[in-house]
Amino acid sequence: MGVRFPSVGFFEALRSRMTVARDRFSRLGFFDTTFGVRVGNGTTPNEFSLTFEVFDCTAVREGVRQSEVDFVIEGPAAAWREMLDNIHALGAADTTHSLNTLTHFGEHLRLCYDDPDGHDKMYRFAESIQAFFDLSAEVDFDYADSTRPPGRATAAERRVGA
Amino acid sequence: MSYLSTIDFAEDKDFVDRFQRTMKGDLDLSWLDAPREKIRCTPLNPRRGLTFRDLDVAPYGYTAMPEVIRGNRGFAPRGAAEPDGLPDLQAEVSRKSEVWAYNIEGYYEEAMSRQWNATTDLPWDDMINANLPEPIGKAYAQLLTFLTEVEMIATDVPAKWLGRLNADFFEVKNFIATQAMDEARHAEVFRKRALTTGYGLMRASAHNEHNLKFLRDADSFAESSLTLHLQAEGMVLTLFRFSEYIAPTEADKKMFRLVMQDEARHVGYGMQHLKWVIDHQPEKREQIHRHLDEAENFIFGAGYAVESMEPFIILSGKGLKKENIQQGLRITNNFQIKQSEEYFERLAKCGLPERRERSKLWKLVELAKQAAI
Repeated sequence: MGVRFPSVGFFEALRSRMTVARDRFSRLGFFDTTFGVRVGNGTTPNEFSLTFEVFDCTAVREGVRQSEVDFVIEGPAAAWREMLDNIHALGAADTTHSLNTLTHFGEHLRLCYDDPDGHDKMYRFAESIQAFFDLSAEVDFDYADSTRPPGRATAAERRVGA
Repeated sequence: MSYLSTIDFAEDKDFVDRFQRTMKGDLDLSWLDAPREKIRCTPLNPRRGLTFRDLDVAPYGYTAMPEVIRGNRGFAPRGAAEPDGLPDLQAEVSRKSEVWAYNIEGYYEEAMSRQWNATTDLPWDDMINANLPEPIGKAYAQLLTFLTEVEMIATDVPAKWLGRLNADFFEVKNFIATQAMDEARHAEVFRKRALTTGYGLMRASAHNEHNLKFLRDADSFAESSLTLHLQAEGMVLTLFRFSEYIAPTEADKKMFRLVMQDEARHVGYGMQHLKWVIDHQPEKREQIHRHLDEAENFIFGAGYAVESMEPFIILSGKGLKKENIQQGLRITNNFQIKQSEEYFERLAKCGLPERRERSKLWKLVELAKQAAI
């Protein structure tokens, strides 16, 4: 049975996949940060806090307390959807949908932070964070409007897309 | 061979007699009598393994280390008994606040666990098979040439200081060793990528190399760290993120994500070191500003040199046509503003919020912002 994005269930599903993919994350190294995810720009955005320790995601919570997170990745639901659709179709983000690219100038997603040292953790653990979101390619989920991300593209479709 | 022994051991009767007695089973065993603390450290978090933090127990730990190291002049590991006759290595840095950083032990463990291999961890076939059109390919090759140049000096500088730090600064020395390895790997990966673009290495940059010489020739470790870890690597971190943003293939993006991880860790050390300096040697504030005055002059010359700036304009505009150049200028200007703003944000967080007011570089950022409007 699928989960919905955004929800605690969605991030719990990523967390379980991360446990299964422990060898991959161990190879990437210690991953120690707590960051926030904010979906939607309205007065009541959906917010989640994700805590990572050693090689694992150790906590998924609803809500973001700015003082408890290193940074928050935020953006409109459409931007998150575009990223997740891309990952779901290709198995991993392509050149225009990596988290760094989407957040670099804040054109699609944006990074919020109070402490530049906390902000830099986005880059200290860049590959682990990208790998975590890329796990969404393996998750069966739908969006708030009940639509689903596209199925996996064939190699030929990927070439045409490129 | 500049250092010669004062003893010719093969001709020294006492030494040879002692050797012969030992070989007959007449052991000296005086080292057994050295009064030592009996300690068996264990991991606080078994999932993480045994870390330097787990070893932070007196008399071996770092928390109780004094500000000035007067005792250890040689290679004695911190906490070991130091018999008479150890050499004086004349360490250039024996004051803790000149090298220490908050969480230094954490940065070391992170560095060790996040090592990667430029030869095997990247999909080289994907990069080799990516056919880059000539202006893009040449601009990318020029960027990679610039980055290789930068990373070679970033390897030399920590390596230069490694042997000059007092042996008691064990955790810092180990971290600096990981940095030298990281930077060597960066020079390696950029050289390899340049030589797989189909265009090879392009042109070295005089402006850039004068800046690198300034970095190399800092008068003290604290000055060197300020300009290398915090200023230069902070700027290069933003540059790597920008490079990931404009990278032509997914494989190139992965390469930039891997190098940015290392670079961000070095910047983290630089920030925590500067905070430590300001907390423990507040009288150094003016000296830090004076060093930054010149460092910012050099980095402006290097960062805005044609060999480094023009490839960004072409890569971000995706070509050499007029409209590409206009687009590239807009994006590159935004990048440079971001790069400098992040640098001043870090300085403010470390305790130098007044740097903006004093800095000529900040005034140039203000000009760039007006140009962006």
